[in-house]
Parts: sequence; structure tokens; C-alpha cells
Amino acid sequence: MDFLTPYLPPQEWLEPLLKIAVVVGVLQGAVAYLVLAERRVAAFIQDRLGPNRVGPFGLLQPLADGLKFILKEEIIPAGADKLVFLIAPISIMATALVTFATVPFGYYMPFPGVKQPIELTISPGLDIGLLFVFAVSSLGVYGVILGGWASNNKYSFLGGLRSSAQLVSYEIPLGLSVVGVVLLTGSLKMETVMTAQANSGWWFFLLQPMGFIVFLISGFAESARLPFDLPEAEQELVGGYHTEYTGMKFGMFALSEYIHMITVAFLAVILFFGGWHLWFIAPAAKPETVTMFGGVIYVLVLSFKVLLMVFFFMWTRWSWPRFRYDQLMSIGWKVMIPFGLVNLVVSAACQEFLGPQQFFLKALIAWGTLAATVFAVTVLKPLEAPKVQLPART
Amino acid sequence: MNTALPIFLFAAIATGMSLAILITAQLVGPKKRTAVKLMPYESGMDPIHSARHRFNISFYLIAIEFLVFDVELLVLYPWAVAAHDAQGAGGFGEGHAVFWAVMGFIAVLTVGFAYTWRKGLFKWA
Repeated sequence: MDFLTPYLPPQEWLEPLLKIAVVVGVLQGAVAYLVLAERRVAAFIQDRLGPNRVGPFGLLQPLADGLKFILKEEIIPAGADKLVFLIAPISIMATALVTFATVPFGYYMPFPGVKQPIELTISPGLDIGLLFVFAVSSLGVYGVILGGWASNNKYSFLGGLRSSAQLVSYEIPLGLSVVGVVLLTGSLKMETVMTAQANSGWWFFLLQPMGFIVFLISGFAESARLPFDLPEAEQELVGGYHTEYTGMKFGMFALSEYIHMITVAFLAVILFFGGWHLWFIAPAAKPETVTMFGGVIYVLVLSFKVLLMVFFFMWTRWSWPRFRYDQLMSIGWKVMIPFGLVNLVVSAACQEFLGPQQFFLKALIAWGTLAATVFAVTVLKPLEAPKVQLPART
Repeated sequence: MNTALPIFLFAAIATGMSLAILITAQLVGPKKRTAVKLMPYESGMDPIHSARHRFNISFYLIAIEFLVFDVELLVLYPWAVAAHDAQGAGGFGEGHAVFWAVMGFIAVLTVGFAYTWRKGLFKWA
């Protein structure tokens, strides 16, 4: 890397490079072991044992799985568009990884020999973190639609269409629900969002209950987790858009799906559950005062919250049946978007007329709005079409 | 600190890594091709016709609706950043003018949304 030094001081590229190495390594390991964890959780919920043969408690299972993925034959079906068929898994995995460029995985960390404490984000200078995450993660749709189209398989084609429509539909409520949080902090930087929650002590799910619900449900749909896993509804579409993918190419689709889930969990924790903040254990602090031990504590608190969120994802998987496709679309467009719009208007009015403080009043209004909206939708049903009585068949 | 450099680095590394994984798998795995193995999977039947069919117009309409809403969202983000403290220091909302303008914008959008809803865009037969 000597050719870079005349233009850039080594810290400029060495620091992000180190962070990238850590993030990519941890993500890959986390995904491997979360797959195992998910299988064990599933087994526990269904009163089975789960994978426990490979190594102690099945701990070597991820290694065996990875090895098997690599050693399988890579098949490109005869009628497939070869180039596009190969681009799809690359694009979906690259975008899933790059999403993490602006997601903070801790607070600050002092480092011997470096003057300023290091911000634990790959790209700390970027002001539009949230926007970047949504922009890049939605590029995953390309991988889905390209893979589905290139396979020249009817199941893949229909699965690709379905899931691209699903991803695109739930993109909007996801974006809408976050505008409330942006209003509360006045910044698109996730570090600022977490600091704002730590300073006031009001985690944003208290101030944005409706935004949180919309975000969580759309997040489930975006990461195609079970109540919304229609892209690969195996009873109807075999494997959906990745029916024709074998071996490591299938592994890449599975990996990026898992990374999407982790991203959504990270975002939910950062935006609505205080990020690294926890009273007494990880309180709000100035970046310069953070010690090395303290920095580790912040990372641990954040990861613990994310793991709880991921566990919630796994739990939900075995608690809810899958939606039908028309139900999926009507939840997205007829429930989530109106909810998101109501939340947006109410929180904008709060912010405009109450100012940036007054958290208690805002929380009261937000929970009141949520109750009123749910009441209106479930009890009053103003939008329901009148039931038409069909004549009985004879 | 250069803000965009880490992202480009990360994008290059992520793409390179995905490529490397693909190539390794291609090299390591067995290669025993047969005609049946290369056939698209169709639950054991021989496939007829190409899979790239005409499809339901609803998918197309949903995509257009998504485009409208996504552009609208992009407009709302910068406003939300500024509206955090509209009346305070560095604020811009003199007499709530901007607030009502944005509300009007959302109202127009809602009318359009209600129109497409009434037209049956979200009905999946």
C-alpha cells in the first residue's frame, strides 16, 4: 500500500481497513453461529433436541455446514443467463455487507498511539447514515429480481416477482416510520440518535410507539422473516427466487438474508431502544472520558440488545403462520402506510408546537394516537367495504 | 477525515470477497454435468416454454406507486432534519409556514394514495 502514502496518511486508510476487517469477520462468524442458534431455538420451541452431534453441543455444526456449501457442485441451469445468474448473488451479498458502513457497533474506543478516541463506525464522517442504510439495503432487490429472472425457472421467476414487489412495498413504511425519529433528533447520523436517547433517558420507542411498530413489521417483511417469508414459501414456490442456486451461491443468498436480519435488529435497537445506552452500566458520557474498558462495555450492551432482538425474530418465526400474498400486500399498503402517515403528521405537529423538549407530553400524545388509531381501525372499521350477501348456490 | 473513502473501500472489499467465494466454490466443487441435472427444476416434469412469461399488471402498478412514495420520502428527510428545532436557533419555520406547506404536501399525497386505493390498486384477486 506504499503507493497510497503520498496522497493519504496511513491512518486515513488503515483505520477503516481495520474496522472493515473486524466487522466482516464478526458478521460472518455471527451469521454462522446464529444459524446454529436459530436451529437450537427452533428445536427448543418444538420440543426437539436440534443439531447436537458435531462437536460439543453441536458447536462445530457451522464449520461443517460451510465446508459442505463449498464442496457442493455449482450448477448453472441450461437455459439460464449465465452472467446475470452469477451477478445476482454477488450483488445481494455485497449490498448486504456494505449496509453496515454507517451502522455504529459501539460508542468510542481510545486506542494507544492515536490522539482522538476512535468512533466505532466504519464511516464515521458520513452525515446521512440512515439514508445510506436504506439506499444500499434496498439495492438488494436487484439481486432478487435478477436471480429470479436469470434462472429460467417458473418458480424462480414468480418468486422473484413476488419478493421484489414485497420488498418494494415495505420499503415505504420502513422509511416513513424513521422520519419520526429523525424529527426527534434532527440528524440522520445514528451516533447522534443514540446520544440523544442517552442524554434525555427517553428511549424512542416511548416517544414513537407507532413508528416502532411500523418499523418492526416492515423490518420483518424487508428481511423476509417468517410471517412474511413469501419469497420462499416452500409449499408453493419450492425455494422462490433461489430455487436454481446450489452450493455456495445458495449459501450467499442465505448469508445475505441473515445479514439483513441483523441489520434490521441493529437499526431497531439503535433507533428505538437507546443503542449502547443502559442506565448505570453504560450511561451517557463524553467521548474523551471513555476508557478502554468502558468502550468494551458500550459494545457489549449494544450487542446484547441486538441479540435479544434477533432472538425475538427467531421466536416470532415459530409463533405465527405465514400470510397469504394478498394479505401481505394489504397489510403493507392499507395498514402500514396509513399508520406511518398518521405517525408522521402527529410527530411533526408535536415537534413544531412543543419544541425539541417536552418529552413527557410527546409520549402521552404518541401513545394516545396509537390507541386512537388502533381503536379506529379495529372497532370502527371506517374503510371496510359493506359486506355483499351472495345468493346461496343451489 | 475523508468521509467517502471507507465506504468505497468497504464496497470494493465486499464485492471482491463475494467474487472470491464464488470462484473458490467453482474451483473446489465436483463437476459432473448431465442433461437432466442442468434442466430447470419443475417438480420432476420436463419444462415446457420459457419461464419468462407475461405477468400480472399489478406488479407493474405497485412499482409505479412505490416510485411516487419513495421520491416523496426523499423530500421529507431533509425537512425532518431541519424541523427538529424549527422555532429555535438556526430554525427556519417563521410562523409555522414551512410546517403547513409540508402538511399540504402530505395532504396532496394522501389524496393521490386514496385515489389509487379506491381504484383497486391494492386488490389482489
